[in-house]
Amino acid sequence: MDDLELTKLWKQYDQSLERANILNLQSWVLHLQTIELLKTEKAKSRLRSLGNCKKGMIIIGILWVAFLIFLLANSIAVSKLFFALSVAAVLGFSIYSVLAYIWHIVLIDEIDNSESLVEVQKKTATLKASTLNSTRILFLQTPFYSTFFWSWQWMSHDPKFWYIAFPVTLLLTAASIWLYRNIDIRNADKRWFRMLFSGKDWTAVIRAMKYLEEIEEYKKEVEI
Amino acid sequence: MHPTDKEQDFLQLILANKGIILKICQLYCPDKADREDLTQDIIYQLYRSAERYNKDYRFSTWMYRVALNTAISFYRADRRRTTLPLSDLHLTIEEADDPIGAERLAGLQQCIQGLKELDRALILLYFEEKTYQEMAEIMGLSETNVATRLSRIKEKIKRCMQINMKCI
Repeated sequence: MDDLELTKLWKQYDQSLERANILNLQSWVLHLQTIELLKTEKAKSRLRSLGNCKKGMIIIGILWVAFLIFLLANSIAVSKLFFALSVAAVLGFSIYSVLAYIWHIVLIDEIDNSESLVEVQKKTATLKASTLNSTRILFLQTPFYSTFFWSWQWMSHDPKFWYIAFPVTLLLTAASIWLYRNIDIRNADKRWFRMLFSGKDWTAVIRAMKYLEEIEEYKKEVEI
Repeated sequence: MHPTDKEQDFLQLILANKGIILKICQLYCPDKADREDLTQDIIYQLYRSAERYNKDYRFSTWMYRVALNTAISFYRADRRRTTLPLSDLHLTIEEADDPIGAERLAGLQQCIQGLKELDRALILLYFEEKTYQEMAEIMGLSETNVATRLSRIKEKIKRCMQINMKCI
Protein backbone atom coordinates (compact mmCIF):
# COMPACT_ATOMS: atom_id res chain seq x y z
CA MET A 1 0.00 0.00 0.00
CA ASP A 2 1.51 3.36 -1.02
CA ASP A 3 0.71 6.95 -0.01
CA LEU A 4 -1.56 7.47 -3.00
CA GLU A 5 -3.65 4.43 -2.17
CA LEU A 6 -3.94 5.60 1.43
CA THR A 7 -5.11 9.06 0.33
CA LYS A 8 -7.61 7.50 -2.07
CA LEU A 9 -8.99 5.35 0.72
CA TRP A 10 -9.34 8.44 2.91
CA LYS A 11 -11.34 10.20 0.20
CA GLN A 12 -13.73 7.23 0.07
CA TYR A 13 -13.98 7.35 3.85
CA ASP A 14 -14.65 11.07 3.64
CA GLN A 15 -17.50 10.56 1.21
CA SER A 16 -19.08 7.80 3.26
CA LEU A 17 -18.98 10.04 6.35
CA GLU A 18 -20.55 12.90 4.44
CA ARG A 19 -23.40 10.67 3.33
CA ALA A 20 -23.91 9.12 6.74
CA ASN A 21 -23.82 12.20 8.93
CA ILE A 22 -24.45 15.31 6.93
CA LEU A 23 -28.18 15.53 7.53
CA ASN A 24 -27.85 15.11 11.28
CA LEU A 25 -25.33 17.88 11.66
CA GLN A 26 -27.19 20.19 9.31
CA SER A 27 -30.47 19.87 11.13
CA TRP A 28 -28.77 20.21 14.51
CA VAL A 29 -26.87 23.34 13.59
CA LEU A 30 -29.84 25.00 11.98
CA HIS A 31 -32.08 24.32 14.90
CA LEU A 32 -32.77 27.55 16.71
CA GLN A 33 -32.08 25.85 20.01
CA THR A 34 -28.42 25.88 19.04
CA ILE A 35 -28.32 29.64 19.45
CA GLU A 36 -30.03 29.35 22.80
CA LEU A 37 -27.53 26.70 23.84
CA LEU A 38 -24.61 28.88 22.80
CA LYS A 39 -25.91 31.79 24.83
CA THR A 40 -26.36 29.80 28.00
CA GLU A 41 -23.82 27.92 30.01
CA LYS A 42 -25.37 24.58 29.17
CA ALA A 43 -22.58 23.74 26.81
CA LYS A 44 -20.08 23.63 29.59
CA SER A 45 -16.40 23.55 28.96
CA ARG A 46 -14.45 20.75 30.56
CA LEU A 47 -11.84 23.20 31.74
CA ARG A 48 -14.48 25.32 33.37
CA SER A 49 -15.51 22.39 35.56
CA LEU A 50 -11.88 22.05 36.62
CA GLY A 51 -11.97 25.77 37.43
CA ASN A 52 -15.12 25.39 39.54
CA CYS A 53 -13.45 22.64 41.55
CA LYS A 54 -10.46 24.90 42.16
CA LYS A 55 -12.73 27.81 43.13
CA GLY A 56 -14.33 25.57 45.76
CA MET A 57 -10.89 24.71 47.10
CA ILE A 58 -10.00 28.42 47.27
CA ILE A 59 -13.06 29.18 49.42
CA ILE A 60 -12.21 26.33 51.81
CA GLY A 61 -8.57 27.46 51.80
CA ILE A 62 -9.44 31.08 52.66
CA LEU A 63 -11.62 29.94 55.58
CA TRP A 64 -8.77 27.74 56.83
CA VAL A 65 -6.25 30.61 56.48
CA ALA A 66 -8.60 32.96 58.38
CA PHE A 67 -8.90 30.39 61.18
CA LEU A 68 -5.08 30.00 61.37
CA ILE A 69 -4.58 33.79 61.46
CA PHE A 70 -7.08 33.97 64.32
CA LEU A 71 -5.18 31.24 66.18
CA LEU A 72 -1.85 32.92 65.54
CA ALA A 73 -3.06 36.33 66.65
CA ASN A 74 -4.21 34.82 69.92
CA SER A 75 -1.06 32.87 70.66
CA ILE A 76 1.75 35.37 70.38
CA ALA A 77 3.46 34.87 73.74
CA VAL A 78 6.77 33.35 74.85
CA SER A 79 4.93 30.57 76.67
CA LYS A 80 3.19 29.59 73.41
CA LEU A 81 6.24 30.01 71.21
CA PHE A 82 6.16 26.49 69.67
CA PHE A 83 2.43 26.65 69.12
CA ALA A 84 2.73 30.03 67.39
CA LEU A 85 5.66 28.88 65.24
CA SER A 86 3.83 25.71 64.20
CA VAL A 87 0.67 27.63 63.32
CA ALA A 88 2.76 30.19 61.40
CA ALA A 89 4.44 27.42 59.39
CA VAL A 90 1.12 25.73 58.56
CA LEU A 91 -0.30 29.17 57.71
CA GLY A 92 2.57 29.76 55.26
CA PHE A 93 1.87 26.48 53.45
CA SER A 94 -1.87 27.18 53.42
CA ILE A 95 -1.35 30.63 51.90
CA TYR A 96 0.92 29.07 49.26
CA SER A 97 -1.80 26.58 48.48
CA VAL A 98 -4.52 29.23 48.10
CA LEU A 99 -2.25 31.37 45.89
CA ALA A 100 -1.42 28.34 43.74
CA TYR A 101 -5.12 27.64 43.20
CA ILE A 102 -5.77 31.32 42.32
CA TRP A 103 -2.91 31.15 39.82
CA HIS A 104 -4.47 28.04 38.27
CA ILE A 105 -7.78 29.88 37.80
CA VAL A 106 -5.91 32.67 36.02
CA LEU A 107 -4.24 30.07 33.79
CA ILE A 108 -7.57 28.41 33.00
CA ASP A 109 -8.95 31.75 31.83
CA GLU A 110 -5.86 32.30 29.71
CA ILE A 111 -6.20 29.05 27.79
CA ASP A 112 -7.23 29.93 24.27
CA ASN A 113 -8.29 26.99 22.13
CA SER A 114 -7.28 28.83 18.98
CA GLU A 115 -3.60 28.58 19.90
CA SER A 116 -1.54 25.73 18.46
CA LEU A 117 -2.36 22.18 19.54
CA VAL A 118 0.93 21.56 21.29
CA GLU A 119 0.65 24.85 23.20
CA VAL A 120 -2.95 24.37 24.38
CA GLN A 121 -2.51 20.71 25.24
CA LYS A 122 0.64 21.52 27.20
CA LYS A 123 -1.11 24.25 29.20
CA THR A 124 -4.10 22.01 29.93
CA ALA A 125 -1.96 19.09 31.03
CA THR A 126 0.26 21.38 33.14
CA LEU A 127 -2.81 22.65 34.95
CA LYS A 128 -4.04 19.18 35.79
CA ALA A 129 -0.58 17.95 36.70
CA SER A 130 0.04 20.95 38.98
CA THR A 131 -2.18 19.35 41.64
CA LEU A 132 0.50 16.73 42.25
CA ASN A 133 3.24 19.36 42.53
CA SER A 134 1.20 21.34 45.06
CA THR A 135 0.54 18.17 47.05
CA ARG A 136 4.22 17.27 47.33
CA ILE A 137 4.98 20.76 48.66
CA LEU A 138 2.10 20.52 51.14
CA PHE A 139 3.57 17.28 52.53
CA LEU A 140 6.39 19.42 53.93
CA GLN A 141 4.05 20.93 56.50
CA THR A 142 3.38 17.55 58.17
CA PRO A 143 6.10 17.83 60.91
CA PHE A 144 4.59 21.09 62.15
CA TYR A 145 1.43 19.23 63.19
CA SER A 146 3.59 17.40 65.74
CA THR A 147 5.28 20.47 67.23
CA PHE A 148 2.40 22.72 68.22
CA PHE A 149 2.20 21.20 71.74
CA TRP A 150 5.93 21.46 72.46
CA SER A 151 6.98 23.69 75.36
CA TRP A 152 10.25 24.67 77.11
CA GLN A 153 9.00 23.11 80.28
CA TRP A 154 8.16 19.78 78.63
CA MET A 155 11.59 19.69 76.98
CA SER A 156 13.53 20.28 80.19
CA HIS A 157 11.47 18.24 82.66
CA ASP A 158 9.96 15.29 80.86
CA PRO A 159 12.19 12.62 79.28
CA LYS A 160 9.16 11.43 77.25
CA PHE A 161 9.65 14.48 75.08
CA TRP A 162 13.09 13.20 73.95
CA TYR A 163 12.03 9.55 73.77
CA ILE A 164 8.70 10.00 72.00
CA ALA A 165 7.70 13.49 70.79
CA PHE A 166 11.06 14.52 69.36
CA PRO A 167 11.71 11.25 67.45
CA VAL A 168 8.15 11.38 66.05
CA THR A 169 8.82 14.88 64.71
CA LEU A 170 12.16 13.77 63.29
CA LEU A 171 10.47 10.81 61.63
CA LEU A 172 7.74 13.00 60.13
CA THR A 173 10.37 15.47 58.92
CA ALA A 174 12.35 12.71 57.23
CA ALA A 175 9.18 11.19 55.72
CA SER A 176 7.88 14.52 54.40
CA ILE A 177 11.25 15.40 52.83
CA TRP A 178 11.44 11.92 51.29
CA LEU A 179 7.92 12.27 49.87
CA TYR A 180 8.70 15.76 48.58
CA ARG A 181 11.69 14.41 46.70
CA ASN A 182 10.09 11.20 45.48
CA ILE A 183 6.58 12.24 44.46
CA ASP A 184 7.43 12.33 40.81
CA ILE A 185 5.87 10.90 37.69
CA ARG A 186 8.93 8.62 37.31
CA ASN A 187 7.72 6.78 40.41
CA ALA A 188 4.08 6.58 39.28
CA ASP A 189 4.26 2.84 38.75
CA LYS A 190 5.67 2.06 42.20
CA ARG A 191 3.41 0.45 44.73
CA TRP A 192 3.68 3.14 47.45
CA PHE A 193 2.85 5.81 44.88
CA ARG A 194 -0.21 3.97 43.64
CA MET A 195 -1.39 3.43 47.22
CA LEU A 196 -0.90 7.10 48.08
CA PHE A 197 -2.56 8.42 44.95
CA SER A 198 -5.39 6.02 44.24
CA GLY A 199 -8.84 7.07 43.05
CA LYS A 200 -10.10 8.43 39.75
CA ASP A 201 -9.14 12.07 40.43
CA TRP A 202 -5.52 11.13 41.02
CA THR A 203 -5.56 8.81 38.01
CA ALA A 204 -6.54 11.82 35.88
CA VAL A 205 -3.71 13.88 37.38
CA ILE A 206 -1.15 11.15 36.77
CA ARG A 207 -2.43 10.66 33.23
CA ALA A 208 -2.03 14.41 32.67
CA MET A 209 1.58 14.24 33.86
CA LYS A 210 2.35 11.38 31.50
CA TYR A 211 0.66 13.30 28.70
CA LEU A 212 2.84 16.30 29.51
CA GLU A 213 5.95 14.16 29.02
CA GLU A 214 4.49 12.90 25.76
CA ILE A 215 3.94 16.49 24.55
CA GLU A 216 7.49 17.48 25.46
CA GLU A 217 8.71 14.49 23.50
CA TYR A 218 6.47 15.47 20.59
CA LYS A 219 7.99 18.93 20.38
CA LYS A 220 11.46 17.51 19.94
CA GLU A 221 12.76 17.25 16.39
CA VAL A 222 12.89 13.65 15.26
CA GLU A 223 15.03 11.94 12.67
CA ILE A 224 13.82 9.32 10.23
CA MET B 1 -36.39 33.28 18.95
CA HIS B 2 -34.59 34.40 15.78
CA PRO B 3 -30.84 34.45 15.43
CA THR B 4 -29.14 37.83 14.93
CA ASP B 5 -27.17 38.62 11.78
CA LYS B 6 -23.94 37.80 13.58
CA GLU B 7 -25.30 34.46 14.73
CA GLN B 8 -26.65 33.77 11.26
CA ASP B 9 -23.18 34.46 9.81
CA PHE B 10 -21.67 32.12 12.36
CA LEU B 11 -24.12 29.35 11.47
CA GLN B 12 -23.31 29.80 7.79
CA LEU B 13 -19.60 29.47 8.56
CA ILE B 14 -20.21 26.33 10.55
CA LEU B 15 -22.31 24.86 7.78
CA ALA B 16 -19.71 25.71 5.17
CA ASN B 17 -17.09 23.87 7.21
CA LYS B 18 -19.23 21.13 8.69
CA GLY B 19 -17.04 18.45 7.13
CA ILE B 20 -14.14 19.43 9.36
CA ILE B 21 -16.22 19.12 12.53
CA LEU B 22 -17.73 15.88 11.38
CA LYS B 23 -14.43 14.16 10.65
CA ILE B 24 -12.80 15.34 13.86
CA CYS B 25 -15.74 14.07 15.92
CA GLN B 26 -15.62 10.75 14.12
CA LEU B 27 -11.92 10.26 14.77
CA TYR B 28 -11.87 11.32 18.42
CA CYS B 29 -15.16 9.92 19.59
CA PRO B 30 -15.88 6.29 18.82
CA ASP B 31 -19.09 6.33 20.82
CA LYS B 32 -22.04 7.58 18.79
CA ALA B 33 -23.90 9.03 21.78
CA ASP B 34 -20.87 11.02 22.95
CA ARG B 35 -20.23 12.26 19.45
CA GLU B 36 -23.23 14.57 19.64
CA ASP B 37 -21.84 16.06 22.87
CA LEU B 38 -18.49 16.61 21.21
CA THR B 39 -20.14 18.27 18.20
CA GLN B 40 -21.92 20.67 20.55
CA ASP B 41 -18.70 21.30 22.46
CA ILE B 42 -16.79 22.13 19.28
CA ILE B 43 -19.50 24.46 17.97
CA TYR B 44 -19.71 26.17 21.36
CA GLN B 45 -15.93 26.64 21.50
CA LEU B 46 -15.90 28.02 17.95
CA TYR B 47 -18.66 30.47 18.88
CA ARG B 48 -16.79 31.50 22.04
CA SER B 49 -13.46 31.91 20.25
CA ALA B 50 -14.91 33.71 17.22
CA GLU B 51 -14.31 37.14 18.70
CA ARG B 52 -10.67 36.31 19.27
CA TYR B 53 -10.15 35.15 15.70
CA ASN B 54 -6.75 36.42 14.56
CA LYS B 55 -6.89 37.41 10.90
CA ASP B 56 -3.16 36.76 10.53
CA TYR B 57 -4.12 33.09 10.24
CA ARG B 58 -6.33 31.48 7.64
CA PHE B 59 -9.87 30.76 8.78
CA SER B 60 -9.37 27.02 8.32
CA THR B 61 -6.20 27.12 10.48
CA TRP B 62 -8.14 28.79 13.27
CA MET B 63 -11.04 26.38 12.92
CA TYR B 64 -8.83 23.29 12.93
CA ARG B 65 -7.01 24.55 16.02
CA VAL B 66 -10.20 25.17 18.00
CA ALA B 67 -11.93 21.99 16.86
CA LEU B 68 -8.92 19.71 17.38
CA ASN B 69 -8.06 21.19 20.77
CA THR B 70 -11.65 20.72 21.91
CA ALA B 71 -11.78 17.17 20.58
CA ILE B 72 -8.50 16.15 22.20
CA SER B 73 -9.55 17.60 25.56
CA PHE B 74 -12.92 15.86 25.25
CA TYR B 75 -11.25 12.58 24.36
CA ARG B 76 -8.82 12.82 27.26
CA ALA B 77 -11.58 13.65 29.72
CA ASP B 78 -13.67 10.68 28.61
CA ARG B 79 -12.82 7.70 30.76
CA ARG B 80 -14.72 5.30 28.58
CA ARG B 81 -12.54 6.00 25.57
CA THR B 82 -12.10 2.80 23.67
CA THR B 83 -11.49 1.71 20.15
CA LEU B 84 -14.60 0.09 18.79
CA PRO B 85 -14.38 -3.29 17.10
CA LEU B 86 -14.66 -3.33 13.32
CA SER B 87 -18.27 -4.51 13.37
CA ASP B 88 -19.37 -1.42 15.34
CA LEU B 89 -17.50 0.89 13.03
CA HIS B 90 -19.57 -0.40 10.18
CA LEU B 91 -22.54 1.43 11.60
CA THR B 92 -20.95 4.72 10.61
CA ILE B 93 -19.78 3.52 7.24
CA GLU B 94 -23.17 2.39 6.14
CA GLU B 95 -23.15 3.41 2.56
CA ALA B 96 -20.03 1.83 1.17
CA ASP B 97 -20.83 0.10 -2.10
CA ASP B 98 -19.09 -3.22 -1.52
CA PRO B 99 -18.37 -5.21 1.66
CA ILE B 100 -14.59 -5.38 1.08
CA GLY B 101 -14.53 -1.62 0.57
CA ALA B 102 -16.49 -1.14 3.78
CA GLU B 103 -14.03 -3.36 5.66
CA ARG B 104 -11.12 -1.32 4.34
CA LEU B 105 -12.74 1.98 5.31
CA ALA B 106 -13.58 0.70 8.77
CA GLY B 107 -10.03 -0.63 9.01
CA LEU B 108 -8.63 2.78 8.12
CA GLN B 109 -10.80 4.44 10.76
CA GLN B 110 -9.70 1.91 13.36
CA CYS B 111 -6.02 2.34 12.49
CA ILE B 112 -6.28 6.13 12.79
CA GLN B 113 -8.18 5.83 16.06
CA GLY B 114 -5.37 3.64 17.36
CA LEU B 115 -2.88 6.50 17.01
CA LYS B 116 -2.01 8.92 19.82
CA GLU B 117 -4.10 12.09 19.98
CA LEU B 118 -1.57 14.45 18.37
CA ASP B 119 -0.59 11.92 15.69
CA ARG B 120 -4.25 11.54 14.85
CA ALA B 121 -4.56 15.30 14.37
CA LEU B 122 -1.51 15.38 12.14
CA ILE B 123 -2.65 12.58 9.84
CA LEU B 124 -6.08 14.18 9.57
CA LEU B 125 -4.45 17.42 8.40
CA TYR B 126 -2.34 15.47 5.92
CA PHE B 127 -5.37 13.74 4.46
CA GLU B 128 -7.11 17.09 4.27
CA GLU B 129 -4.27 18.17 1.99
CA LYS B 130 -2.95 20.95 4.19
CA THR B 131 0.49 22.30 3.33
CA TYR B 132 3.39 21.53 5.66
CA GLN B 133 3.41 25.18 6.65
CA GLU B 134 -0.26 25.10 7.64
CA MET B 135 0.14 21.79 9.46
CA ALA B 136 3.08 23.27 11.37
CA GLU B 137 1.01 26.33 12.30
CA ILE B 138 -1.93 24.28 13.52
CA MET B 139 0.20 21.84 15.46
CA GLY B 140 2.78 24.30 16.81
CA LEU B 141 5.69 22.27 15.40
CA SER B 142 8.43 23.00 12.90
CA GLU B 143 7.88 21.95 9.29
CA THR B 144 10.76 19.47 9.50
CA ASN B 145 9.23 17.88 12.57
CA VAL B 146 5.85 17.66 10.80
CA ALA B 147 7.42 15.95 7.78
CA THR B 148 9.32 13.40 9.83
CA ARG B 149 6.40 12.59 12.09
CA LEU B 150 4.04 12.24 9.15
CA SER B 151 6.29 9.75 7.48
CA ARG B 152 6.35 7.63 10.66
CA ILE B 153 2.59 7.86 11.14
CA LYS B 154 1.90 6.79 7.56
CA GLU B 155 4.13 3.76 8.05
CA LYS B 156 2.22 2.87 11.20
CA ILE B 157 -1.12 3.13 9.41
CA LYS B 158 0.07 1.04 6.49
CA ARG B 159 1.31 -1.69 8.83
CA CYS B 160 -1.98 -1.58 10.74
CA MET B 161 -3.99 -1.78 7.51
CA GLN B 162 -1.99 -4.80 6.37
CA ILE B 163 -2.70 -6.59 9.65
CA ASN B 164 -6.40 -5.70 9.38
CA MET B 165 -6.62 -6.95 5.80
CA LYS B 166 -5.06 -10.27 6.81
CA CYS B 167 -7.79 -10.66 9.43
CA ILE B 168 -10.63 -10.14 6.93
